[in-house]
Amino acid sequence: MLVNKKYVKRHTKGFVYLHWINALCFFMLFLTALPLYADTFRFLYDLLGARTLQNAHRFFAVIFVLNPIVGLITAREGIWRMFSEVLKFNGKDITFLIKFPLELIGKHPEGVPKQGFYNGGERMNIALQLATWGVLVGSGALLWFGEGLIDNSIRAWMIPLHSLCAGIGFAGSIGHIYLALVANPDSVHGMQDGTIKVDYANVHHGEWIDDMVRDGKINRQELNDALKR
Amino acid sequence: MAQEITMLHDVARCSACRACMVACKQWHDLPADMSTPFEGQYQSHKDLTSTTWNLIQMHERVDGAGKFHWDFFKKQCMHCGDPACMNGCPEEAIEKKAGGAVVINPDKCVGCGYCTANCPFGIPKVDAESHKSTKCDLCYDRIAEGMEPACSKTCTADAIRFGSQADMLARAQERVDILRAEGHPDANVYNPQGVGGVHMVYVLPEKPAVYGLPENPQTPASINIWKDVVRPVGKIAGVGAIAGVLGLTALTAMRGKGDK
Repeated sequence: MLVNKKYVKRHTKGFVYLHWINALCFFMLFLTALPLYADTFRFLYDLLGARTLQNAHRFFAVIFVLNPIVGLITAREGIWRMFSEVLKFNGKDITFLIKFPLELIGKHPEGVPKQGFYNGGERMNIALQLATWGVLVGSGALLWFGEGLIDNSIRAWMIPLHSLCAGIGFAGSIGHIYLALVANPDSVHGMQDGTIKVDYANVHHGEWIDDMVRDGKINRQELNDALKR
Repeated sequence: MAQEITMLHDVARCSACRACMVACKQWHDLPADMSTPFEGQYQSHKDLTSTTWNLIQMHERVDGAGKFHWDFFKKQCMHCGDPACMNGCPEEAIEKKAGGAVVINPDKCVGCGYCTANCPFGIPKVDAESHKSTKCDLCYDRIAEGMEPACSKTCTADAIRFGSQADMLARAQERVDILRAEGHPDANVYNPQGVGGVHMVYVLPEKPAVYGLPENPQTPASINIWKDVVRPVGKIAGVGAIAGVLGLTALTAMRGKGDK
C-alpha cells in the first residue's frame, strides 16, 4: 500500500527516532572529545571547561548506549532488518560498490544490479557503525569504570582503540551525510516521516520493491500509476 | 647537568610506622583522607587516592613453609625513566625533571585520566573536586633546594634512603646481598627496565609478585600507536572526508546534477 499514491513506507517512527538520537549523540560525543583528540580544539576546554565537556561526554555516552537498547522495543523491526540485511551481503552488493562511485562524478554506469532494502554501500555502513558502536562502548566503559577491574596493560589499549573508532566513525558519518543530503537527497525523506518516493525506491532499491509487489504489500497497478506520475 | 637522583625503599627494614605518610601529607598540605573504606586491618587506606600519595601497604601472608609474614611496602609513584603517564598525556601536563622526578603540572592538567589508564602501576588518581590528576612528586621542590624528600627525611627505620642514582643502586645491591646471605634467596632490587628504570627503587626480600608488583612492567606500546598513528591518521581521515565531500558537492553543483 502506497502512501498518498507516491510514497512507500520504509522505516517505523521508532527507528527514525533511533537514527536521529544516535546521530545527535555521536556528534556530541565527538565534539566533547575533540580537545583530547586534536590540539586545534583545545580552545573548547578553555571556553567551556574541561570538566564540563568530559561530563557531557559521559552523559551522551549513556544515551548512546541506552538508545539502541530502548530501540529493541521501540524499533525492533528496524533493528532486525539492519542485522538481517548486513548478513545478506552478496556478490550483487560488491558489483554495486564497484560501479556506484561513478555516479558521484556524473557518470552513468551500466549493469548495476537491483538493490534490496539496503544497498551494498548501506550494508557496509551498517556493519561499520555496528562494529564501531561496539568497540566505542566497550573501550569507553573500560576507560570509565575499568580502574581496578582490569589490568592497565590491557586498559591502556582502550585509548587508541577508542580514538581509532571515533575517527573511523566520524569519517564514515561525513560520507553518510554527503550521500544522504547531496548525492541522494530523496533518501532523507525516509528519516523524516519514514517514507520515501516510490520512483526513487524503484530505481535505488528495485529488488525491495519487487519483493513487496510479490508479497502483496504493494499493488502492481498502484506502483505502475505512481511511476507514471 | 643535574645529577640523577633515586629514592630507595628497603622493604626488609620498614617498620610500618607510617611517619613517611604523615610527612608527605604535612609537606604537601594534603587533608586527612577518609575516602577509602576501612577494612578492619592496620593498613590505613585501601589504595592511593588523590590526597594520599604515599601508602604503606601492610600485607599478611603465610609462605610455603607455613611461616607468617607481614610485608610492609611503600606504594607510590615509581618515577619511571620512560614514564607512561607523561608519554600518554594529551595536554603535555606531565614533565620529567632533570633529576628524574616525574611531576604533574596542575595548570595544564585537564583531568582526562589517560595517565591513570596508562600507568603500569595504577598510580595517578584524578581528584573529584579539583578534577586534576595527582601523585607523588618526589618532593621535587625540596630537591631543587638541596633537601631530601619529606618521607626519606622522616623515616625512623632508615628504610627510605635518598641520594644519587649510583649510590642508591649500590646500597640496594649491598642490602640484597645481605638478605640473600640471611636466608632470602629471592631477594632482589626492583628497578624494572621495561619502564626505562625507575627513580623509586625497592629492596625486596621476596619476588615482586609477593608485593603485588608486576614482574616485568612495560611502558605501553599503545601510547606511541595512539600518538604516532591513530591521532594523525584520524585527523587526516576526518579532514580528507570533509574535503572530499565538499569537492564532490562542488562537482555535483557544477554539473547541475542530483538525484531529484
